[in-house]
Amino acid sequence: MSTKKKFKWRKWNNIIHRDLGYICVGLTVIYAVSGVAVNHVADWNPNYRVQTVETSVPAGLLGDPSSPATIQDILTAIAVNGTPRATFRPDLETLQIFVDDGTTVYVNLETGAVLSEMVRDRRILREANFLHLNHPKKLWTYFADAYAVALALLAVTGVFVLKGKKGITGRGAWLTGAGVVIPVVFLWLYL
Amino acid sequence: MLWSMPFSHLHSLESDVFNMKNRLAISTSVLALVVALACNSQTIEYTSYGDALTLSDTTLVSQILAAPDSYIGERVLITGTIVEVCEMKGCWLEVASDAEFEKIRVKVDDGVIVFPLSARGHTAIVEGVVELLELTEEQAIEQAKHHAEEQGVEFDPSTVTGPQTSYQIRGLGALIAE
Repeated sequence: MSTKKKFKWRKWNNIIHRDLGYICVGLTVIYAVSGVAVNHVADWNPNYRVQTVETSVPAGLLGDPSSPATIQDILTAIAVNGTPRATFRPDLETLQIFVDDGTTVYVNLETGAVLSEMVRDRRILREANFLHLNHPKKLWTYFADAYAVALALLAVTGVFVLKGKKGITGRGAWLTGAGVVIPVVFLWLYL
Repeated sequence: MLWSMPFSHLHSLESDVFNMKNRLAISTSVLALVVALACNSQTIEYTSYGDALTLSDTTLVSQILAAPDSYIGERVLITGTIVEVCEMKGCWLEVASDAEFEKIRVKVDDGVIVFPLSARGHTAIVEGVVELLELTEEQAIEQAKHHAEEQGVEFDPSTVTGPQTSYQIRGLGALIAE
């Protein structure tokens, strides 16, 4: 009678799948949310909320655009409370005022028309994108690599979780096949 | 108990003097630390983007724009106020020149360096290579459309009247003041 124990590969497969799943859930949710956000980058800014307000100031206020007093008068007139950080004249008729609260004010020196752009971070989403698009670089690169390997392991071990009709030899084969065919169809359509 | 009193009193006096000296030393140290921190808070803090800067001498943007052909392919270090940033991808920024009405674009590879939109109005020190961009009318229209999309503004076809030649800096690394 043999005492050699049979290696229970499916049991270990399922343990790896389960525990890796727990570890990956947080980052997967972050990457999924960020993925949708950056997918639509053509339609919106996934990192910042840019609020624009159009207004005007009386022509009498537009004296010497390089004078700090004029700049302060313009900001007071349009109710911007921050402190001017810098100014720029892209052309003769335009004055840009950069305010320390993140507001940029564009003043038409001929007409007095003013456009204020307030830039605010999209909280959480900006941080999620920061990680997803690997802006931190450095150590995060290696952690993200490890996460990618873990995802691949999750996928492979997921294939063998069940046996029988609902496993990879039955329904699983069709669904796995569909998952492979779908990107191939899109490649065929767009390439 | 009786004889121990003067000694204990003496000990107490020594202890007081010791404590006073200690307190004085601690107060002086705290004061020095506060002064040091206050002085430190006056220094400008920079956030680094991309490669570390290798040049130490800056070139004026006005000098580059006055004779751009002589700088093509040259690695330069410039400094100035950031007046515009790519809203969508942070893949370029524009630095004001030291001369009026002038600015220069710094383009970086998409995703390699990402400049924050909040950098507008901040001072930047940028290192990169001066490039010549020669665009046909069609390419210029495409680029103008792309920039309009990035900035979320409507494309005005009248801004492109023919082939365009422009100069930019291929950004390699930057420091942006907080």
